[in-house]
Amino acid sequence: MATETPTLPAGAEPISARGRKDELGSSSARGRRRRTNVLIWGVLAVVSLVMAAPFIWMFLTSFRTQEELGMADMPLLPSSWRWDNYLEALDAAPFATYARNSLLLAMGQATTAVVIGSMCGYALAKLRWKASGPIFGWFLLSLMVPFYATVIPAFFIVRYMPLFGGNNILGQGGTGWIDTWWALIVPAAISPFLVFLFRQFYVGTPTELIEAARIDGVGEFGIFARIITPLIKPGLLTVALLAFEAGWNNFLWPLLVTSSQDLRVIQVGISVFRQESATQFHLLMAGTTMAAVPMIVLFVVFQRYFVNGFVSSGIK
Amino acid sequence: MTTTTTPSAPPSTPPAERATGKARGPGKREARWGMILAAPAFLHSLIWIGIPVIVALGLSFTSYDMVTSPVFVGFDNYANIFSDALFWRAMRNNLVLAVVGIPVSMLIALVLAVLLNRGVRGQSLFRTLIFLPHVTATVAVALIWLWIFAATDNGLANVALSFFGIDAQPWLNDPDTALPAVLVVTIWQGIGLKMLIYLASLQGLSPELYEAADIDGAGPVRKFVSITVPMLRPATFFVLVTSIVANFQTFDLIYVLTLGGPANSTTVITYQIYQTAFQQLRMGLATAQSVILLLILVALTILSRKVVGGTRGD
Repeated sequence: MATETPTLPAGAEPISARGRKDELGSSSARGRRRRTNVLIWGVLAVVSLVMAAPFIWMFLTSFRTQEELGMADMPLLPSSWRWDNYLEALDAAPFATYARNSLLLAMGQATTAVVIGSMCGYALAKLRWKASGPIFGWFLLSLMVPFYATVIPAFFIVRYMPLFGGNNILGQGGTGWIDTWWALIVPAAISPFLVFLFRQFYVGTPTELIEAARIDGVGEFGIFARIITPLIKPGLLTVALLAFEAGWNNFLWPLLVTSSQDLRVIQVGISVFRQESATQFHLLMAGTTMAAVPMIVLFVVFQRYFVNGFVSSGIK
Repeated sequence: MTTTTTPSAPPSTPPAERATGKARGPGKREARWGMILAAPAFLHSLIWIGIPVIVALGLSFTSYDMVTSPVFVGFDNYANIFSDALFWRAMRNNLVLAVVGIPVSMLIALVLAVLLNRGVRGQSLFRTLIFLPHVTATVAVALIWLWIFAATDNGLANVALSFFGIDAQPWLNDPDTALPAVLVVTIWQGIGLKMLIYLASLQGLSPELYEAADIDGAGPVRKFVSITVPMLRPATFFVLVTSIVANFQTFDLIYVLTLGGPANSTTVITYQIYQTAFQQLRMGLATAQSVILLLILVALTILSRKVVGGTRGD
């Protein structure tokens, strides 16, 4: 029962066309079919354009001059493409530092998620041990807990972390993990959902292979790391991408636990920049483009793996 | 315990251990490695989810400002919440976003999935474009919409309205139009994932059903209503529940677009939790709010597991 909660029956095979059922149909039926396909194509094209319009608008705005933004009759395309907006935005706020921080955070989270998550997923899917069932149940339970229900106590744990940031053994006197990489990376190192995802990937691997390896005298860790895990390489990539995405796009947690500019991540950076640059939308959109484009590119390149993960998650 | 002694165990097993009893030796080793491999993730979830939930429950019965120690106040915080007009306002806004936004984006997503499943040329590009809003950071997305909803004549939303001869709207600056504006963004951002889930389920439907319907002379609308929609019921339910859960966790969008305003017209529960905790430092009250959010979402999830468990028994 509970084992199959967040997944869908249909898995996530690359989406392919059904189509061409009535190849034997008469020529008039084929004509009708072609006409409906043209119609469908038209609808999809219009909808896709509407869905992409905000991004196009962002992109166009990031090249406009401020005077143009003030014009009542603003032309659809920028009258001149002003690349300097990006330089000015980089000048106005250290977006390069923000982007570097976000990149480190996202890569850190992807690494911890893959290492810690795969170990746990494998142990839950493939190894027989007494607590395996209850622990899997625990993960399913914690899957239901929204971040907003734990954020305040988690903030206290970070703030009162003993022996860090000038805190004594009781966590008093200093600032703990506030404004450190620890606070950014450790609490988000792994999520129950990614453990669950890993377990699902490992369930599909052949148990006979494990048994054969045991007979050959391969150690348990070797079986996990060198024999079974290579079989779920696409799954590793899926989890790494989802964790990277969560890290790059994360906002509230970095906002709460960092205050220095050196540790500011890009989503917090553009949000702060917005408060400082109130009406300079051309610079704001240049900054936003820098915050959005890396994820968009990554998604387009690795689309299939993302889709795989999103379809099993259903939640961002 | 075992955890401290074994992390560097040699990868190969001494032959003696293999020789002694198949049942006990390897089974024990397997159990030990099960614990070792699961321990980091388990401990992590214990520290960052388990303990916080218990602490939140405990703090929700106290008054705590991070300066002086927590003071036990019984059910005062919960009583406060139930008489707090602002909290109900937030709850109402969450419900409006859910009740209006989710069905609309689900319907659009379903239609798009069916159309994309026909395999017309360029469908993978269309799919990518429709899904982009979901992968892009909500902060970035919110900033873009902030500019689209600019109250000036050249905000894109007002440009679009003027195309139809409608006057420019104040959008995010007016309590009457701010929530509808937020609603538009949530619908726009919510379509992609729903479409993808529908598309994955559509691919699981058997073509024979449609072939039989063809033989019976059913038209495309008839097939959609009589085959596609009923067959997608489990997917629809799944999409509905996950959407409600996600809706109750809307935060970034509100923080960037409106800060809950104007006049609290767009505040949501998560934003109230944030305000109460990190702006007003009323940690006891804020944890009580977060406990209520937790209870709502857990109830929803359990309900959905029950129902899905019942309908998926094929």
